[in-house]
Amino acid sequence: MIEETNKIIDSLGGTTALAKLLNVNLSAVSNYRKKGFPDRLHYKIATLCNEKGINIDGKIFGGLSKNLPAIDTRPLEILSDISIKVIENLTEDDFELIDPPVLVSADNVLDRLGENIADKLYIFSDPAGSRLCLRPDLTIPTCIHYLSNGFDGVKKNYAYYGKVFQFQNPSSNEPNEFSQAGLEIIGGESCVENEIEVFYRTYKSIKQSGIKNFKIIFGDVSLFSILIDVLDIPIIWKDQLKTKFWNDKNFKILLEELTIKKRINNQLFKKISSLDNDTAEIFVRDTIGLLENQSPIGRSIREITQRLIKKSQEIKTDPLPKITANLIKEFLSISDKPLQAIKKLKAVSKNIDSRLNLQIDSMSARIEMMIDLKVDLENSILSLEKGRMVEYYTGFLFDFNSNNLKNSQNIAGGGRYDDLINSVSDKNDIPAVGAAINLDRLEKIISLEKLA
Amino acid sequence: MSSILLALPSKGRLYEQMNKFFESSGIILKRSGGQRTYSGFIKGIEKIEIIYLSASEISSELLKGNIHMGITGIDLIEEGKTTASKEVILLSRLGFGKANVVIAVPDHWIDVENIKDLSEVSSEFRSYNNRRMRVATKFSNITRNFFQRNGINNYRLVDSAGATEGAPAAGSSEIIVDITETGQTIEANNLKVLEDGVMLKSEVCIFSSANDIWRDIDLKPVEKFLRIISARSEALGNAELLFDYMKEDRDLEINLFREFNSSFVNGSPNIGESVSLITPISMVPSCTYYLTRRGYGPVRTNRPEFIYNQESNSWNLLKNSINCM
Repeated sequence: MIEETNKIIDSLGGTTALAKLLNVNLSAVSNYRKKGFPDRLHYKIATLCNEKGINIDGKIFGGLSKNLPAIDTRPLEILSDISIKVIENLTEDDFELIDPPVLVSADNVLDRLGENIADKLYIFSDPAGSRLCLRPDLTIPTCIHYLSNGFDGVKKNYAYYGKVFQFQNPSSNEPNEFSQAGLEIIGGESCVENEIEVFYRTYKSIKQSGIKNFKIIFGDVSLFSILIDVLDIPIIWKDQLKTKFWNDKNFKILLEELTIKKRINNQLFKKISSLDNDTAEIFVRDTIGLLENQSPIGRSIREITQRLIKKSQEIKTDPLPKITANLIKEFLSISDKPLQAIKKLKAVSKNIDSRLNLQIDSMSARIEMMIDLKVDLENSILSLEKGRMVEYYTGFLFDFNSNNLKNSQNIAGGGRYDDLINSVSDKNDIPAVGAAINLDRLEKIISLEKLA
Repeated sequence: MSSILLALPSKGRLYEQMNKFFESSGIILKRSGGQRTYSGFIKGIEKIEIIYLSASEISSELLKGNIHMGITGIDLIEEGKTTASKEVILLSRLGFGKANVVIAVPDHWIDVENIKDLSEVSSEFRSYNNRRMRVATKFSNITRNFFQRNGINNYRLVDSAGATEGAPAAGSSEIIVDITETGQTIEANNLKVLEDGVMLKSEVCIFSSANDIWRDIDLKPVEKFLRIISARSEALGNAELLFDYMKEDRDLEINLFREFNSSFVNGSPNIGESVSLITPISMVPSCTYYLTRRGYGPVRTNRPEFIYNQESNSWNLLKNSINCM
């Protein structure tokens, strides 16, 4: 094994030449002579050998065929240096490079992403009649990979790259297919450490790609849902606020409505409010006109009764106090450099239930960990609005945007989605956190920066 | 110069209603060759080439900008629109094929009356059943846009080729979005239309494609054709009220316009004149009541066959859209 490694170093021009090629110290290459190539270099070395026409024995790379299955499906030479570097950074050490399916069930994707993405999907039927689509991202296929290997909760670190397919408005000049590289930690614990692992690998990949101007936007949608949970308001309002959270316009309308006293003259609500659970169900059954063993169409008696009970309580409740509505608005409007934003968050939430403060502490912990890792946070903000546009993440999230005044384009994004596995299978929630980088756009922006 | 492509529905009730409309307009359609061919022309109007297609093909060809004009339903145009579509202009309503695209839920859902209720139920449904509420429809686009505007996001569409009303009872969906003229089929299937559940009021119309295919086209024949169409379709929606203006009333003209959308054919009337007032059919009872209360009468009503205005709305719409290109 070591003998083979030395042969390769020599064929590539010796210690000094290889150190130059790999952009590492001489001592590093001497180390390889003793210990063999580290996993993360297998890719690069394979490329270099390929370029020089050196025939290499697959065995020499030990984990190569195991860790890099995609090497067979996508020849190395078609990847650019930037892409290779990104992939190396993502796969370093214990992240397994996988090759998830290109064709996925359209139902899985729509269940996960909602119908609003349908006009971006390439949906078709196969001859067997199954409705399939070309993967619009690599997160769902990675999940399917996880599930199809029979895993159910065990922690897996995956990295991937490949083409994804999203129909774009033809006038936008955006490509309908582009390359993504990314990583997912599926299973294990839902902890800050995993989030930072994913974030930091993404950060390092982008930082080392050569892009000069970019900014990071952080968010955490669970801060909002916990705020709503701990507020002293009726459950039905909590549900409504959480549902409308994803649409700013409808959210504002709802918040306004809740502060106004409602006059609902609904006999059903009045009647139901005087009944206990069981008699309420019988009442609902009679009102619908169902026989003993019949169920209503589409929903259960329990669902309908419980909603009527909640509605009847809502009528009895006083309107949402203006001060609470303003607190929610103020909370969501926080957007600042991470440390300042956390300070503001703490000030706004001072007198609120400690559960919220725990969540704010987690955010502080993440930022502190980033500072320890020497992440440059100069150009970054923490925004409570972040993540509202897409109903996708369940907690911490981040976006990397190019920081060009003319057009700020998204180059990478990621975060926590603990409901991901649940939404594509019959399994319960399994912690999942991941990120993806748009390789094509990253390269385009780097080349534009070079021109400027 | 090339000729104008006008696509007309080739079969079914739409075809029959359209023929009736053209017959009553005095426009004679001829098929090239036998009755079974799918192309034709208009007698007396040159350079308009008719092609017969299905109503949904007509909508998609208009949206792709492949034909100049076509007759089809508003529902099909709205359903066919994508980010890639060319602009399509509604030139004139033809007064038939009226139907609404509506949201209907099982009438067992006694707690759901309007869209706000439905929005709440859809998110509760997801937490109860661990899946999204299913909506059976053949109007995916219209439904998606409407639901997005109304903040409903916890749902899934189920394609329905026919008999959509049966889907909830069959268990293949919870609710439906369907097109209906009277709502009877929906009620018969134990469903109810939500109070504010009319998503789209559809009707058969003549549309044009706002596209550069209009370049180098002789517009004279289209102007003639569209003037007849607007005169006829305007006449279909309106009645003529005839009475003698025997009593001075300075506010009459403005009130009739404001409250009943009605106007005098010959402008402001003079005392002693017999006047003709054009009134939307739906306004006739209330407008005649208003007039008789004001001391005018007897008021006779007529159904005009054509109303030719100096300016033809549909021709102006087309002219402007071509000038804008």
